[in-house]
Amino acid sequence: MSQSTDIRPPSWALCCLRYLLKEEYIEEIEGDMEELFFDQLEKGSSQRAKRIYVLEMIKLIRPSLLKNFTSSSTLNSYGMYKNYFKIAWRNLIKKKAYSAINIFGLGLGIACCFLIFMYVQDERSYDTYHEKGDRIYRLIHGSRIMEGPEKGDVNPNPFWVWGNAPVGPALSNHFPEIEKIVQFSGRSNVLLQYEDKIFQEDDVFCMDSTAFDVFSWKLLQGDPKTALVVPYSIILTEHTARKYFGDEDPLGKILKGEGGRVNDGDYTVTGVMEEVPSNSHFRFDALISMSSFKQSRAEVFGWWGYVDFYTYFVVNEQFNEAHFKSKISDFIARYHPEPEWGYTFDIEPLKDVYLRTKAERQPGETGSLANIYVFSIIGLFILVIAMINFMNLSTARSLERGKEVGIRKSVGAERKSLIFQFLGESIIIVFLSMLVAILIILVALPFMNNLTGKEFSLEPFINIQTILFGVVVMALIGLLAGSYPAFVLSGFKPVQVMKGIVKSTAGGVNLRKSLVVFQFSLSIALIAGTIIVYTQMNHLLDKDLGFDKERMLILDYNYDSEVNTKTEVLNTAMRTIPEVTSTAFTRSVPGSHFPNAGTEIQNATGEMEMIGQAIFQVGMDFVPHFDLELLAGRSYSRDFPSDSSSALIVNEAAAKQYGYANPVDIVGKKFSQWGREGEVIGVVKDFNFISLHRNIEPLTLPFSPYSSRYMCLKVKSENLAQTTKEVGAIWTKLIPHRPFLYSFLDDDFNTQYQSDFVFRKLFTTFACLAIFIACLGLLGLATYTAEQRTKEIGIRKVLGADVRSIVTLLSKDFVLLVLISMFIATPLSWYAMNEWLEGFAYRMEIQYWVFVFAGLIALSIAVFTISFQSIKSALLNPVNSLKNE
Amino acid sequence: MKKTKLGEFEELVLLSVAALQKEAYGVEIKRELEERLKEKLSVGSIQSALKRMEEKGFLTSEFGEATLKRGGKRKRIYTTTSYAHKVLAELKEIRAGLWDSIPTLTPELKII
Repeated sequence: MSQSTDIRPPSWALCCLRYLLKEEYIEEIEGDMEELFFDQLEKGSSQRAKRIYVLEMIKLIRPSLLKNFTSSSTLNSYGMYKNYFKIAWRNLIKKKAYSAINIFGLGLGIACCFLIFMYVQDERSYDTYHEKGDRIYRLIHGSRIMEGPEKGDVNPNPFWVWGNAPVGPALSNHFPEIEKIVQFSGRSNVLLQYEDKIFQEDDVFCMDSTAFDVFSWKLLQGDPKTALVVPYSIILTEHTARKYFGDEDPLGKILKGEGGRVNDGDYTVTGVMEEVPSNSHFRFDALISMSSFKQSRAEVFGWWGYVDFYTYFVVNEQFNEAHFKSKISDFIARYHPEPEWGYTFDIEPLKDVYLRTKAERQPGETGSLANIYVFSIIGLFILVIAMINFMNLSTARSLERGKEVGIRKSVGAERKSLIFQFLGESIIIVFLSMLVAILIILVALPFMNNLTGKEFSLEPFINIQTILFGVVVMALIGLLAGSYPAFVLSGFKPVQVMKGIVKSTAGGVNLRKSLVVFQFSLSIALIAGTIIVYTQMNHLLDKDLGFDKERMLILDYNYDSEVNTKTEVLNTAMRTIPEVTSTAFTRSVPGSHFPNAGTEIQNATGEMEMIGQAIFQVGMDFVPHFDLELLAGRSYSRDFPSDSSSALIVNEAAAKQYGYANPVDIVGKKFSQWGREGEVIGVVKDFNFISLHRNIEPLTLPFSPYSSRYMCLKVKSENLAQTTKEVGAIWTKLIPHRPFLYSFLDDDFNTQYQSDFVFRKLFTTFACLAIFIACLGLLGLATYTAEQRTKEIGIRKVLGADVRSIVTLLSKDFVLLVLISMFIATPLSWYAMNEWLEGFAYRMEIQYWVFVFAGLIALSIAVFTISFQSIKSALLNPVNSLKNE
Repeated sequence: MKKTKLGEFEELVLLSVAALQKEAYGVEIKRELEERLKEKLSVGSIQSALKRMEEKGFLTSEFGEATLKRGGKRKRIYTTTSYAHKVLAELKEIRAGLWDSIPTLTPELKII
């Protein structure tokens, strides 16, 4: 017994017991428990006694002994909740049109928002799958001006991701914080053959063996450590492997390879990897070991001036970006053999390369941060518009609910519970909209995939976080949208409401009006935006590029040397087809990439001057074939055999670059480029050899017949398919060892606007949806107003008003609102679209008619929507509207 | 008889209450039954049986004296009602009747 004062039952268990058990049983049971506890204490250890006490406590949890939680605290209001639900449901059913507009509009809004969210998430997820992603950086190469007033300025030209090879090994020697470096070549095209299967693979990289230490790509077969070590090893992606080997085991098989950066040879398949995830900033179908490239052209790996490599590296945990950058100039001074070149580089973290890169010549595609912002804003607009609909319709109908509020209040409802009721109602509606939204998303997803060319799936979004997020969003939307009616309605004075005096809605009317103005401002801004995006895109497509891109068939033979020796044979053979009017060979086609290099040309003062510009190597008939306009001099000609070694054609911009205002003056001047010397023989008018996002840059067009890659055929034919077939037949006859690969120049050229097209499509679609939702709301509001004024209309008609004046009466207010919106929207959208157009070198000027037009569209849609209802009311027989009082 | 709904365990508890007379409170009933049944019982099971039977009218209860061991809390002493006595007697009678009919049944059961 002496222990009893010291040792007590566990207090937490005692608390539980007191909390859980019925009030009236506590004394008795607690006493029993304690008695048993001390009995146990006498028998054994205090631990055991406590344990038994807790166990007994848990066993006490039975329905007959517990407090009745459900009934004691909520029994009274349960019926009330039931009533709330009943009233909410009845309201939904009673006004089917409003409910449908509300639920469908909000559902559509949420769905749009979610789809946009998916798109944005996808854009932001680029390259996030690499395990070491936050420690991967890449090199971007630039140059520093060495002379002149801006001496020391970094980056007179944009940085390039594409750069030299020797910097890689030097970096890993010099910086201990770099763990692994991986370098890979520019994208190359290789013709691969296995038995009778020949395909040209266009997305192949020569890759260092460290690739799998840096990037987290999954190798399904083969050893990631050794797969890319041996020369002439090749790793195929699953899809590519299946193309050649079907169901056979690809590992160890031999593929005959031709073209690309590596000498022709037999490749051994050393690995099969999963497809590169679609959210990677560069993707490929096959990887060739870098050692193969090294074996073929060892010398370029030591040249600091040879640009053909991408350099990525993983750093260790202690890496400090700022510190690293501060050491770059010392590093270059120590390792670079020619400091006067002004070579420099910078680094970019992997997470920034897709959206935030400042460099050009990417290994793959890049996204646009601006577009992400634009879409996020549109998504938000749509949601706001849908929510405004909801608020408007609820506030408009607040009058009807006034009596209900009055009765509830006089029966004893507190303001709190009324607020709760209305908020709850709006959350119910939002919940229904959510269901609608899910349906819409499921239906719209395939279209969305089609529109963006991406593969979206819902799976990554089905997790607890998203569901929680959805619930939170739902509650937020419900609270926001329902807040006005909830707080205003609950504030009604019961006596006044019951008497029928509800004058206090003037505030409500103003709020409604300003919300409509807001809504329509957004809509008009979106319409104007759509028009501008469309006009600009058409402007791009229809612009005269300075060369002929229509009906131009391009055959790709990937620099095949045999084809290049047979150019004359091919020319003659192809021209026998009557529809083929002209042929030419070239290394590149407008719209693709061009190498940059320095060219020395005698400048206006007579000195040889070295300036860098793009180089477009062409064949004999290139200039006349593409209808380039010669401003001075002559084109390459078969009459001058020396043209292949000592002649050069430049464009107008290049002539200006060397100080010749008049293009005639540069003709006959000496040049030296890539080991050739001779005279400039002609100047062509500037033509857009790259995307219209950019200005025409200086360009030289050296004649290099054996560097060609494409044969271009101008086809004047009604039946393109037939002619293509004929061309194909001749090709297969003359060049049996190469597949017939063709494309059309205008398609190729337009692929560089692919992302612009996606942008246009998405922008238009979502803008239209936004306008549609806004109109839904307007329709609801117009219907409501007309209903409210049924009696007024009846009396007016009795007194002699005609249909026209009544329609005017009903539409006037809304039209005024839309007009106000026009004035608000114009400056905003002008500013925003102007920013967007900055991204194009060839941009349309925004004309005022765009806004007038956008306003008119909005106005006519609004008038159409309203008139539907107002004409209906105006035609109503006044007898019907007046008889029931 | 139909509506009495006295469970087997409840019947045991009820009988213990009747047997213990003035000493019939939670812990004592538990001890008594544990001794007779030779198994451990929890406070919860005894208490819930007591409460149920009180609700059904088999038992009444009142607070008894407090002891030091109970930390100053009073015992609740249960008493059987006359209704309970009637029901218990009926049950005993039914059982006795059934027992009486067993001897004739046993051999047959064994055959099966």
